[in-house]
Amino acid sequence: MTSLLGSMISTLGMALRYRPLIGVSSQVSKANALFNPELTTVRFRYHADKVAKGPVPRRHGYEEKLFQSGLLPRKVSVDKALPMPTYKPKNSWNEKRALFGQNDYIDILGPSNEISQKTLHPTQLLYHVPPWLRGVQGNEYQVLLRRRKFVQKKGYALGHPTKWATLNTRIKKLYTYLNHKTKSPFWKHS
Amino acid sequence: MATKIINKTVTEFSLRITRCFFVPSKTIQTNATLFQERLETSITNVEEQLPTTIRPPLPIIHSRKLAFPPKFKAPRQVWVSNMDTVEEEKLGLIDLHPEVFAERPRVDIIHENVRWQQLYRHVSYANTKMRYEVRGGGKKPRQQKGSGRSRHGSIRSPIWRGGGIVHGPRSPTPYFYMLGFNTRLNGLRSTLSAKLAQDDLHIVDSLDIPTDDPSYLEKLVEERGWGPAVLFVDDNDIMPLNITAASDSHGHYNLMPVYGLNVYSMLKHHTLVLTLAAVERLEERLLFHLNRNDAASAGQKYRLDSV
Repeated sequence: MTSLLGSMISTLGMALRYRPLIGVSSQVSKANALFNPELTTVRFRYHADKVAKGPVPRRHGYEEKLFQSGLLPRKVSVDKALPMPTYKPKNSWNEKRALFGQNDYIDILGPSNEISQKTLHPTQLLYHVPPWLRGVQGNEYQVLLRRRKFVQKKGYALGHPTKWATLNTRIKKLYTYLNHKTKSPFWKHS
Repeated sequence: MATKIINKTVTEFSLRITRCFFVPSKTIQTNATLFQERLETSITNVEEQLPTTIRPPLPIIHSRKLAFPPKFKAPRQVWVSNMDTVEEEKLGLIDLHPEVFAERPRVDIIHENVRWQQLYRHVSYANTKMRYEVRGGGKKPRQQKGSGRSRHGSIRSPIWRGGGIVHGPRSPTPYFYMLGFNTRLNGLRSTLSAKLAQDDLHIVDSLDIPTDDPSYLEKLVEERGWGPAVLFVDDNDIMPLNITAASDSHGHYNLMPVYGLNVYSMLKHHTLVLTLAAVERLEERLLFHLNRNDAASAGQKYRLDSV
């Protein structure tokens, strides 16, 4: 019994050191400290303090092979540093960035038709995406088929003959590749 | 037909970015004329020019009726402040619905929402040419045997320098996907709850401010300890003239209607300021979706060309 208790104390010796023990000398009080509902551990080490002391080392054991200090590269004959572009920090609060994501929840928060409960959908507001690509989710083959469907009516073959030929070639090649060279996904096998 | 009309309103007003669009409201015009009169006497101090606000004995706003009254959760109470003065004046205390503002914030759902917002509109236009698209490469470079060198069929084969790329990016690659309706709904609830719990949510009676001086907003935000970036949300997408002019020069003070609210913007701005009308509208919308009896049809998977 006592040996078991002693082993418990020795293994948890580190934890004990950080527990508030008032006037402890005997093993009984130490055992009390192991489980005592009245006592609680208090955090005293914070990662923020470690960071405040200096940069926390990363990648222990890694040797950086690039020059970290010294002169920048320069031409020896001229002895002038090579031109570097002046650093311009990006404006995190320009109009586009400040209002990014606006109207994404218009189908939830926007007004709905009283009878049909229909609302606007965020896909209807993708103005910077080509119209044939709005709300499209698919692989290259599916995307190209949709592109051909949208484009063939407008006389694309007459206006852009090379691109029309490339499009059709690509579709043909992808058909051959996907149907003769690759297996259909596991969820398509019956 | 109704949907088309809504579409027109949205494209005309909201996406032109509300902080550039203003219409002078009745109450503001009186303050503006007062302001003009005082300007003529060439007083440069802003505080001197502001007309003193006369108010009935506080509290003005007493209570608020909650739709779908909560049965087992207590409503959260928040102060309603003013925007008339730089110093905060508490106009009253209102209840907020716990289903909207006191949900346990699910960080994973918030993360999913932010990721969705960033990705669903993204289209990658990166493109590489395949071996048959690269210019040239139709002729066999040298005969098969006899030269002692390696055999090749085309100079644009992928193993050649300047040759085609085999499995490279193919333009355009859409990254569109639609997050589930309820995931997005719960994302909004989680973010609003987190904002309230972390004291980053403030309610004001309206967005009417006495001057269009940008420094007024600066002082106000500084005085009240609101974050560096503030998002003002109102019910209407046409905002009062003064606040539009005042926030125009600052990129970190932004105005948004309720239908423009989203998880990303709420997280980007430190403080969220809602008007009473905005709170009413927001709660009405979210509670409607939570309590509708045709939720299955609303939460259906998005189908291409269905909207």
